[in-house]
Amino acid sequence: MPKNTLGTYSETDLRKALSAGTFTMEAGSFTHLVQGHSSYLIEFLRDVYRDYPISLYPDEVVDTSVRVTAPNILRRFIRPQVIPDPGFDFPSAPLPAHMAPLAFEMGLNLTVALKCARFVSFHAGVVEGPKGAILMSAESGGGKSTLTAMLMEQGFRLLSDEFALLGLGEPVLHSYPRPVSLKNESIPIIRSVAGADWVSEVIEDSPKGDIAYRRARPEDIAAANRVAKPKLILFPSYEPGLSPMSQKLDPAEAIMRLIPASTNYSLLGEPAYRALVRLARETVAFEVSYGSVEDSLRLINELYADLEAE
Amino acid sequence: MSERLARIIAGLESLPQDAFELSRLLARADSHHVLGQLAVQNKNKSPGKVKELFEQALTRTEFDHRMLVFEMNRIERAIEGTCLSPVLLKGATYVATKSKAAKGRRVSDIDILLSATDLNEIEKSLQAAGWEADEATDNPYDQAYYRDHMHELPPLRHRTRGNIIDVHHQLLPKTARYALNHAQMIEDAVPLPNSKLRVFGRKDVFIHSCAHAFADGALDTPLRTCVELYYLFLDLDQEEVSQLADRAKALGGTWPVAIACWWIAKIFLLDAANHVARQLRHPTRGIALKWAIQSKLKDGYTAPLAKFYMYVRSHYLRMPLYLLVPHLMKKAFKWRPKSDEPVKLTFPKV
Repeated sequence: MPKNTLGTYSETDLRKALSAGTFTMEAGSFTHLVQGHSSYLIEFLRDVYRDYPISLYPDEVVDTSVRVTAPNILRRFIRPQVIPDPGFDFPSAPLPAHMAPLAFEMGLNLTVALKCARFVSFHAGVVEGPKGAILMSAESGGGKSTLTAMLMEQGFRLLSDEFALLGLGEPVLHSYPRPVSLKNESIPIIRSVAGADWVSEVIEDSPKGDIAYRRARPEDIAAANRVAKPKLILFPSYEPGLSPMSQKLDPAEAIMRLIPASTNYSLLGEPAYRALVRLARETVAFEVSYGSVEDSLRLINELYADLEAE
Repeated sequence: MSERLARIIAGLESLPQDAFELSRLLARADSHHVLGQLAVQNKNKSPGKVKELFEQALTRTEFDHRMLVFEMNRIERAIEGTCLSPVLLKGATYVATKSKAAKGRRVSDIDILLSATDLNEIEKSLQAAGWEADEATDNPYDQAYYRDHMHELPPLRHRTRGNIIDVHHQLLPKTARYALNHAQMIEDAVPLPNSKLRVFGRKDVFIHSCAHAFADGALDTPLRTCVELYYLFLDLDQEEVSQLADRAKALGGTWPVAIACWWIAKIFLLDAANHVARQLRHPTRGIALKWAIQSKLKDGYTAPLAKFYMYVRSHYLRMPLYLLVPHLMKKAFKWRPKSDEPVKLTFPKV
């Protein structure tokens, strides 16, 4: 039974369900139970997650639960703060109350990264075009999210900005379309190409700098149950002023670089290794470096055009 | 809720049907580190998504067990050529002997026991094999504190694999009010097939687990502990159950074993355990402790008070006041060197 999207619910209903902790949100491969009292969080969800299927009470068991809560009772009222509670001990720094959206996003990422073992998960962005999916694995600050958002503008489907989910059987990528998190100077760039309506308000001076979220499109969310065939693996690195360059990588080298980007490779053990080998057989891998967004897009489009069509 | 969860884990009650209740229950089981045990009991009775979540939980415990078996093998290598024959404790024993308590159990480190005279040699052997003082306790105060007052060496962490070994020379702290006859237990331990590693007999395994739960520590993981005690009790055959009370008395474990048997009898409706409890002590004794144990398990409104009671009690049991007070002061006002380095977070295992 298709669920209603968050935007169709009244604020009062959402607030009640969030307070009771029965609010359930679907994002592709995962469903999350969310609890929180923060008005900032509710406002953020109503804006950035408006097109996601949700229910006010779960009708099926959920993958993970996240609570956005005050670090202690005092901090709920006096100079309020929030922290994400992913349901297990994890050291996270308290944030000022208005950064509840950030706490929420961090909490969800933690639960997926550390609790989910149904797929091999990598810290990577994934988009899909007519020839198959591109997996981009980069360190924080490598420009992965910016690229993901730019490729969305070119008609690529968003599978995930944060986690590539590789099947343990078939070498396919499962989708987890969450909003794309944009940092600092990439915010105005994406806002200008995507349109101001598609980018959330900016959370300024967070521990990660300025942060804004580019909403997933309704078609990305609706296609969330469709898997994608990976064709291209990229290891992008960005440094201002760098001239664009790409270098093809051995499948073995690609595997060795993907392993440290995985959040659950050693947990899964052999099945994860086998899945990676299958992935490497289906794909070509490149290291790409560039000094500007335009260069990176040109480079990636060239590499994508060179792929054989299915 | 947790008492019911304990019974569901044991297969005595079934999982809730309601998706919200079930989701909350799984989250609770996970945060108490018993999701794997819940999974073992309920995986095949569960449909679709629930089954997938249970399989995922078992992936995690399989990883733990792989780590443990590997580390046991590395310990065997480390003591090659010596006369040492360490006894495995707790999780390592359960996994090595395929106890019911091992199924779906999370394991985070490995505990071994040797007589105090072997300590130097085992420490040297382990150091040669790559284990070194864990950063958290690698300072003169902690090192000396462990060596002078505790029942174990300061934890050793492997240089490359990061796994921790606790090397014990007795089962309760030297300064504790209660002591088990560990010398007798070490003597009666039996070797694993084709190995120099040994394990306690099943009665002693149960008795040690009881002592660990109620004569040491503040029962910080009540759910996990009661499930463990239950399965260890089920491991005993009829003859062993009938000898349990005498063995507990002989080893100095009368009191923790009595409490443990009372507890599992109450939660899991186990008549045999109740019988042992009655053999060991008068049923009305230890009212406050019994209340605190149940209150901590149920985690309701009285839990903070119970927690406080158990905290104070654990320290009272662990060492006399003239040692405790300076120790707690030292811990509270720990001198930390000033440094510009950012604080290094150690990530907990999840």
